[in-house]
Amino acid sequence: MTRTDQKIGGVEFRSVSRRYGKVTAVDAISFKVEPGTLVTLLGPSGCGKTTTLRMIAGLEAASEGQILIGGRDVTLLPATDRDVTMVFQSYALFPHMNVLDNVAFGLEVSGVPKVQREEQAMAGLAMVGLAGFETRLPSELSGGQQQRVAVARALVLEPEVLLFDEPLSNLDAKLRRKMRDDIRELQSKLGLTSVYVTHDQEEALAVSDRIIVMNRAVIAQEGTPADLYRRPVSRFVADFMGISNLLDGTVTRRAEGRVTAHFGEAVLDLPETAITRADEITVAIRPQAIRLATEPGPDRLPVTVRKATYLGSHLEYVLDSSAGELFVVDPTSETPVPPGSSAWATFRHEGVALVPRDGQVA
Amino acid sequence: MTLATRRLAFATTALLGLALGAASANAADLVVYCGVQEEWCQAMMNAFTKETGIKVAMTRKSAGETYAQVKAEGSNPKGDVWWGGTGDAFLQAAEDGLLSEYKSPKLAELHPWAQRQAADAQYRAVGIYAGGLGFAVNTEVLAKKKVAEPACWADLVKPEYKGEIQIANPNSSGTAYATLATLVQIFGENPAFDFMKQLHGNISQYTKSGAAPAVAAGRGEASIGIVFMHDGVTQTVNGFPVKVVAPCEGTGYEVGSMGIIKGGPNPDLAKKFYEFALTPKAQETADQAKSYQVQANVATPLSPHAPRLEKVKLIDYDFKKFGSAAERKRLLSRWDNEIGNLR
Amino acid sequence: MFRSHLLWLIVGWIAWTIAPWYGFASSRQPILGGWPASGLLAGLDDAPWLLPLGLFLALPVPFVATRSRLVGPALVVAGAGGLGWMMLQGVAIIHKGWAWPFLADLFGPIAAGQPGMGFGAMATALAFLFFLTMGLAARGAMKGDRFTTGAIGLLVASISLFVFWPVSTVFSQAMLPDADMSGPAALIHRLTAKDIWSLGCVTGTTRCGVVWNSVVLGTLCGVITTVLGLAFALVATRTTFPYQRLLRLLSVLPIITPPFVIGLAVILLFGRNGTVTLFLAENFGLTATRWIYGLPGILLTQTLAFTPIAFLVLIGVVQGIAPSMEEAAQTLRAGRWQTFRRVTWPLMRPGLANAFLVGFIESLADFGNPLVMGGGYEVLSTKIFYAVVGAQNDPGRAAALGIVLLALCIGAFLVQRRWVGTGSYTTVGGKGFAGTPAELPRWLKNAVYATALPWAAFTFLLYGLILYGGFVENWGRNNTFTLRHYVTAFGLDWNQYGLLWTGRAWNSLFTTLEVSAVSAPLTAAMGLITAYLLVRQRFTGQATFEFMTMLSFAIPGTVIGVAYILAFNQPPVELTGTAAILVVCFVFRNMPVAIRAGVAAMSQLDKNLDECALTLGANSAQTIRRVIMPLLRPAIVAALVYSFVRAITSVSAVIFLVSARHDMATSYIVGRVEIGDFGLAIAYSSVLVVLMGLAIIFIQWIVGERRIARPTPHAPAARPQEVAA
Repeated sequence: MTRTDQKIGGVEFRSVSRRYGKVTAVDAISFKVEPGTLVTLLGPSGCGKTTTLRMIAGLEAASEGQILIGGRDVTLLPATDRDVTMVFQSYALFPHMNVLDNVAFGLEVSGVPKVQREEQAMAGLAMVGLAGFETRLPSELSGGQQQRVAVARALVLEPEVLLFDEPLSNLDAKLRRKMRDDIRELQSKLGLTSVYVTHDQEEALAVSDRIIVMNRAVIAQEGTPADLYRRPVSRFVADFMGISNLLDGTVTRRAEGRVTAHFGEAVLDLPETAITRADEITVAIRPQAIRLATEPGPDRLPVTVRKATYLGSHLEYVLDSSAGELFVVDPTSETPVPPGSSAWATFRHEGVALVPRDGQVA
Repeated sequence: MTLATRRLAFATTALLGLALGAASANAADLVVYCGVQEEWCQAMMNAFTKETGIKVAMTRKSAGETYAQVKAEGSNPKGDVWWGGTGDAFLQAAEDGLLSEYKSPKLAELHPWAQRQAADAQYRAVGIYAGGLGFAVNTEVLAKKKVAEPACWADLVKPEYKGEIQIANPNSSGTAYATLATLVQIFGENPAFDFMKQLHGNISQYTKSGAAPAVAAGRGEASIGIVFMHDGVTQTVNGFPVKVVAPCEGTGYEVGSMGIIKGGPNPDLAKKFYEFALTPKAQETADQAKSYQVQANVATPLSPHAPRLEKVKLIDYDFKKFGSAAERKRLLSRWDNEIGNLR
Repeated sequence: MFRSHLLWLIVGWIAWTIAPWYGFASSRQPILGGWPASGLLAGLDDAPWLLPLGLFLALPVPFVATRSRLVGPALVVAGAGGLGWMMLQGVAIIHKGWAWPFLADLFGPIAAGQPGMGFGAMATALAFLFFLTMGLAARGAMKGDRFTTGAIGLLVASISLFVFWPVSTVFSQAMLPDADMSGPAALIHRLTAKDIWSLGCVTGTTRCGVVWNSVVLGTLCGVITTVLGLAFALVATRTTFPYQRLLRLLSVLPIITPPFVIGLAVILLFGRNGTVTLFLAENFGLTATRWIYGLPGILLTQTLAFTPIAFLVLIGVVQGIAPSMEEAAQTLRAGRWQTFRRVTWPLMRPGLANAFLVGFIESLADFGNPLVMGGGYEVLSTKIFYAVVGAQNDPGRAAALGIVLLALCIGAFLVQRRWVGTGSYTTVGGKGFAGTPAELPRWLKNAVYATALPWAAFTFLLYGLILYGGFVENWGRNNTFTLRHYVTAFGLDWNQYGLLWTGRAWNSLFTTLEVSAVSAPLTAAMGLITAYLLVRQRFTGQATFEFMTMLSFAIPGTVIGVAYILAFNQPPVELTGTAAILVVCFVFRNMPVAIRAGVAAMSQLDKNLDECALTLGANSAQTIRRVIMPLLRPAIVAALVYSFVRAITSVSAVIFLVSARHDMATSYIVGRVEIGDFGLAIAYSSVLVVLMGLAIIFIQWIVGERRIARPTPHAPAARPQEVAA
């Protein structure tokens, strides 16, 4: 399939809200999706990410605000008239049509002649590696194959924006990894503007150019995967991005762009960020940023090994400390420290972020 | 999918054909509401078309239904002639101003009761047939029970007829109302109601429709039905063991009527039909269609099956009084309170 | 801005300037002198009040032409204004001129009145209606979906016109002042009448009020039909009974039977002179009595007639209970009985409640069976009928009784809603529909057999007798074989002019088939679109909308019949005497069942399917046609069959609406039954039953099967190929 014209359709939300009666599902959010990029909406269930996606598709009406696609205001435009397609979580393959008719459906309803649309549909199927499956019914395909049909069906229309609503959640782990790579590859090859919804941070990190983390109807943080992982702005984001060690700490000194943070017995000297001005903070430490040492030091935390697990590629520890429990992933060592032994935890500073404590404003 | 499309196309074509067929159905000229039996209605309309070449569109409904319809349509009538059915309904319609006044030159050829009906209705209706009230008696059932046939109204309250008699509910049936009025005229109002209270013990069912007791008597579901005698005769002719009895004290009768609907679409054709309906030629159709009422035109030959009204003691039925809405309402509500309420 | 805007603008202009404005079904209606003119010509001639419509038609033109952003508001103003003006002039100026004298005083006399609206006016009104809905859509209503707003507009307008207006017209009659009473006093007097509410049969020697009779009958009928329907549904799905197909056929037979016929057969069997009664009397010395007349007879015939409906409601529910749930219960060590008691039964609750409700309402609204079998047992429906047509002729009373009946139905509806509650009964998810249904506990199976099989045998016997009755001279008296009844009804003759339809039933048969065939697809379409709106869309006033659609179902046919005459006998909408009024009546009376079938089926479809079609660029109409309809085929068949059959077999409303040129089969049959000509009635009914059977087969062929899986499945989808990709 060759794209005849490169569509440059970005998406923009200008303080868009969606209310159902008294419940606010999406509360005055604004963001931009640059043309040709894949942006993920990430968040726990009920955070408003799917509603946001459906508003882009036109399946939900915005209660307030403005939605622009390719610079055009589409707020009042019905789904049919928007140049947006979507891959649904349930795939939503039409059970009564065979694979070819499913993929050709969008072309058919927009009036593409039969020969041409079948050609395009075949090309689409070939692109997702399903050539030869044209006459099967959806019920005769495996989950992964159904997923590919759904993707092909959305792709052949060459939409301005392609939407994915948790497209991989019904697949097993292995297939999920392969599919997400395939999706990412297709997207970047075709230069499609895409919005992707998931609650799986690993998936989000793997496929996205940018990630928008949502929580309770608002955007919690927006940025590149690395930004979010390295510099979470809140305990929620840190937690959600898989930074599982969240310890209470205090800031004692701020000077020359650096801060001194205490947690437990450890004192770390970190670069200051704009995130927190308060003294009571939460220290978010990535599991990969902790190592065990046998010697004490000022920036080290005395710990007791509670549990050590050998996982082939890496070791996992659960440690007890005066600041709380720590979870550690250590790919560098082959021999585990036995449970019960005392040790000192050392911290790589890139893997440590300071975020406001819950209930405090940044 | 192509198959489904073809089927759909087929169905659509068929439907369109039907719709077009419906739209092009030929418009008939004269609209008649017919209140007698279906066979007679058909025979009468055919005779009229044969005679005049005018096409007739006819609906058959009971007198009550027709009255309700004519009344509902009153602001913009759709029918031309209302032909056949109990005279009461016509008197009411005349009273409501739903029928137009018309004096036929043939009035003089009619039996006096038919002329009187016309006069009572201020010439907005005219009598076209008459039928006396009587008993339709199932001789087989009574013989099996070894019970004598009733000859008089007074016989009906005898204990041996317990559960054997049917009559219609006067609230729903003109026949039963005529019976009620007849009893009041024969016995006087209070004795008549006492009589009906006694009769109540013998009655198995107050039917809805006036002719139903005759059918029940024919089938043996009851042994005596209080009905118009010609309805009983129909059962006899249809092969049921039904004997028609005229009560010895005398009996009331109905005058089946005809009227031109006021403001109907074809008043001229309506008059043509009206005139034709009063001729012997038209009235002979009744006998052919197994309807055995006495016809209004003196010159119409009487069917051999018809109950001879001249041999029946007919009371001097006051149609004007008992046909009026007020008297009807009063009697019916008294019946409701004193008899209809009983278990 | 959109093609649809242009389309309806053109329709509006053509309809107003060219199409004949007056005289619906113009070929049937006498056209007044010079009237087949269009709205514009009539306006220029002597109906100047039609001219302002041109302004409303012109208003949106510049906005549509220039693709202005203000096209939405312009369309709203033009649509609402045009519709409003049409209604105003239609109601104010009728065939006699001004409808109310004060208007003449106000505006001066007018030359002539106007007849009912015709095709031109109808199309213009439609154009205005769609202006309004398209305008609202352009302003973002219903996510901007023009089809959805249009469908809502059309349905709301038609339901208001064909349900709400006639019904309120007839109910307002309950307020008619009576002799010495004012309107409200008369209303209260009528509503509290002794013969409605009396409890005399409990405390004294008088009769009980009709309300109690109706409630007792309806409750019994609802319970018994539900139990029997459940027994049949369990036999059909949860046992290994060998003749399930036959059983299903048998259970559907009464639905396609014209009313009265079952009653007749029951009388001929169990009446005092009935075959069975006489047999018992001769061989066992039992006294022949009339026990069948009254409550037992009505209940028996209604049970025969309505059990199939309960069966149809319940079989879907019983089938819908995923076997995996029962299997899960069994793996949790529940026995068969416990599984049934704790899992299967609670999941059937909504089905049982619905079946009961349908049985109750059908029983209350049924009029044919109480008429034939009722004896002295009076119910509301017959009382209403005779209040209208009987010697009383009291439309006020009929209206009051109608209100009471409607209140009973709504009450039953509310009770049912409470009982079902708000629990989730969803059993059909996207996945996991495998497994075999649990067998019933042994004793329950025996009980089910013991209930269903004798009843099936009884139905079988009854139908055998009905068929037989058409072929004998005089059933019960003279049992010699004859074709006389069939010849009388369906005789054909051949002479020099060609084929002659000499049989007396041909006329009514043709009308009946035609009206039913036209109304069935309309009913199904309206019903399913309504279901789509109710299930898939959310809009304000939805609950009211749903209630209105149910209204015409709960009101007895007699009341509807009178209501239609009162409402549609004079301009602006004049339909009496046309076939259209029959079609309209059937469509709106039978629509609720199509809606229910559609709602049930559509709730089982994943909403993502139609959303997906929308995002793929299909508009709502395309989505419905290409995605939803093929998946709803079973529901479409059900809706079509029901509305077709109901149009053929209904009596009560039809009696008032049939006209000289459009007589219906049932009103003909009623006439035959009235005079005791049972042979012809039965012969005619047998023919109808056969025709309806053929029609059902035809409908299934037209609609086709729902195909979502092949009968012989492939081997489980091949993974190697997938990986190779």
